[in-house]
Amino acid sequence: MIWLLGLNSLRLRPLRSTLTVLGIAVAVASTVIFLSLGEGLRRIWRNEIGSVGPELQVSYGPFDTTSLTALPELPLSYLQEIEAEADAYAITKAIPLLFYFRGGLNPGQSFLFQGIPLDTDLSEIYIDFRIVAGRTFTADEGSSNVAIIGSRAAERNRLEVGDNLRLNPQTSYTVAGIASSAGGLVDNAIIVPLETLQRAIGISDRVSFFALDLREPGSANEVAQRLRTDFPELGFQTRADVLGVIEQGIRISDVVRLGISAIALIVGAIAVANTMLMSVFERTREFGVVRAIGAAPFFLFGLVLFESILLSTVGAGAGVALGRLGIAIVNALSLDSIGLEVASLTLRLVLFAVIVALFVGIFSGLLPATRAARISIARSLAHE
Amino acid sequence: MVVVVVVVVAAQVDADVGSRSISSSAASVLPDLGLKYTLVLEARNLHKIYQTPSGEVVALRDFTFDFRPGCFYAIMGPSGSGKSSLLHLLASIDTPTCGEVRLGGQAISQLTESARAGIRLRRFGFVFQAFNLVTVLTAEQNISFPMGLTGMPVNERKMKTDLLLKRFGLRHRRHHLPLKLSGGERQRVALARALANDPDIVFADEPTGNLDTANGATVLAALREVTNEGRSVIVVTHDLGIAERSDIVLKLRDGQLVPE
Repeated sequence: MIWLLGLNSLRLRPLRSTLTVLGIAVAVASTVIFLSLGEGLRRIWRNEIGSVGPELQVSYGPFDTTSLTALPELPLSYLQEIEAEADAYAITKAIPLLFYFRGGLNPGQSFLFQGIPLDTDLSEIYIDFRIVAGRTFTADEGSSNVAIIGSRAAERNRLEVGDNLRLNPQTSYTVAGIASSAGGLVDNAIIVPLETLQRAIGISDRVSFFALDLREPGSANEVAQRLRTDFPELGFQTRADVLGVIEQGIRISDVVRLGISAIALIVGAIAVANTMLMSVFERTREFGVVRAIGAAPFFLFGLVLFESILLSTVGAGAGVALGRLGIAIVNALSLDSIGLEVASLTLRLVLFAVIVALFVGIFSGLLPATRAARISIARSLAHE
Repeated sequence: MVVVVVVVVAAQVDADVGSRSISSSAASVLPDLGLKYTLVLEARNLHKIYQTPSGEVVALRDFTFDFRPGCFYAIMGPSGSGKSSLLHLLASIDTPTCGEVRLGGQAISQLTESARAGIRLRRFGFVFQAFNLVTVLTAEQNISFPMGLTGMPVNERKMKTDLLLKRFGLRHRRHHLPLKLSGGERQRVALARALANDPDIVFADEPTGNLDTANGATVLAALREVTNEGRSVIVVTHDLGIAERSDIVLKLRDGQLVPE
C-alpha cells in the first residue's frame, strides 16, 4: 500500500517531483564530476605506471608526490655502486632518469622533460614505444639538443618534426621524432638526451631516479628490501609502492573535492526535505483520512520516507547520467588542454553516488516522516 | 421507522444507572436480527476539553450511552454542540480527556494509537461530508485501500472490491480519480470504502451535507441498508430527513445530551 500511495502521489504531482529529482540530480552530478577527477587520476597513474618497463625505481630518500617536480637530488655515484653489485641483486639494467617540469599558467604549454641516456632503448622503459613521425635518437646525438615528443604534446602545441621547443631562455630543442606508447605515458612527454637536460638545468652529477630492470620481475619486493638494507639513504619503490604514494596524494584531494561536493549534496538534501515537508503540510487532510480509516502512524512515516528515498534514488540515477555527460565534457576539455582524460566514471563511484543519494533520501525524509506520523487525525480532518 | 429521542442529561444521573437505563430503552426498540455484528459500543462519562490560546473549551461533558448493533443513530445539535467531537471519540479518532469508550467490553480509548488504528481499520467504517477520498487513488484503489492495510491477499481484495463497486453502481467509474467523479459517486465510493473491511459500525459525519437531494437520498438509503445487515450506523447530521429515518436520535447542546 505504501508503494501504491507513494508512487501515485509522486506521479500525480509531476512538477514538484521533477523539480525535486532535478535538485538531487544536479547535486549528485556535481559530486560525481568532482570525484571522477580522482578516479581519472588513479586510472592515468595506473595506466602510466603499468606501462613503465623497469620493475624498481630508486629515489634519493623516500618517494613522495613532489618527487616528480622537485629538482634532481639522486647522486649519479650511486648508479656505479648499484651496477657494481648488479649480479648480486639480480639487476639486469640500471637507467638514470632526469625529470624536469617546465610549468606555465597555460597547462597546455607545461611540459615534463625526461632526460634519458642515449644508449637506452626507449622500448625498455616505455612498453609499446613507437615512433609515429620522424626518427629516434642516433648514437652521436648525446650532446645535441634534439627531442622526441609525445604525440598528444605535439598535437596540442602544433609541433612537427623539425620545429623548435624552448626549455628556458638558453636552451631549445629540435623535434627529431614524435612518439607514442601504451598507457599514454610518452604521449605528453618530451624525451631528451640526459646530458643535454643536465646541462640545461645546471646539474651534472645528479638525476631524479634510477630505473632498475630485474632478472626476476616477481622478486621486486625482495630485491627492494635488500637494497633498502644496503642503501638506507635511498628510496626503493616497486610499481605498487609508487601507486601507493600517488594514491595517498589523490586521497587527500578526494577529501577536498568531497568537501566541496558535500555543499551541493546538503543543498539537495534541504530541497528534498523542504519538498517533503510541504507535501506533508499540503496532504495533512489526506493523511488524516488515511489515519482515520485505519493506517497506523508508522504507515505515514514509511510513506513519506519511501517517497523521499524514491525521489533521491531517481535523482541519483539522473545525477549519474548527468555526471557522465559532465565527465565527457571535462575530458574533452582536458584532452584538448593537457592531453589527458582526467575524469573517469567508475562502478565504485556510481555505487557511492547511489548510497549517498539513499542517505540523503533517508536523512531529508526523517523529519517530514516524523511529522506525518504525529499528525492529529481530528485536526487533520478539519484542515482545509 | 421508530424514532427514539433520548431525554437524559447524563451529567445529572449516576453514570452506571444512567447508562443502563438508556441501554435498556434503546435495546427495547431493536429487532432481534440474529446477525454477526454483536459488538456494543459503550461511551462512559466522556469528557473532551480542548486547550486553546484563549483558555479551555469544553466540547463534551459526561456523555454516557450504549450503541447497539443493527441500529441507526443520528446525533444532532447546533454547531459547536460537540457532535463531531463525540463522533471522533466514539470512533477512536480522538481520545477523551476523561471517561472511556468500550467496544465489546474492551476499553478502546485507553489503547495505544496503533491498537486504536487497528480497531478503526477492522471494526469501523467512515463516511465524511467532504468525501475525503485519497485524491491520488482511483475509485477502485480507494475502496481496496483499507483491505490492503489489513494485508488481505490481492485476489481476495480484488474480488471484494468488484462486489462493492457493483453494489454501489460504480463499476464503470472504477479507474477514475476522485476529481473526475460527481459528488454522489464520490460519496458512494466513500461508502464502499467504509464497508471494505466488513466493519461493525459505520460512522458518518454529515454524509449528505454536500449532496443534492437525489444523491442524498441514495446515500441515506445505502446507510439504512447497512443497518439491515446488522451493523450500527452513527451519523452526525443537521438533516432532519436523516433524523426521521433513524432508530435513535441523540441531541446535543453545549456538549451534553439534552431532552427533547
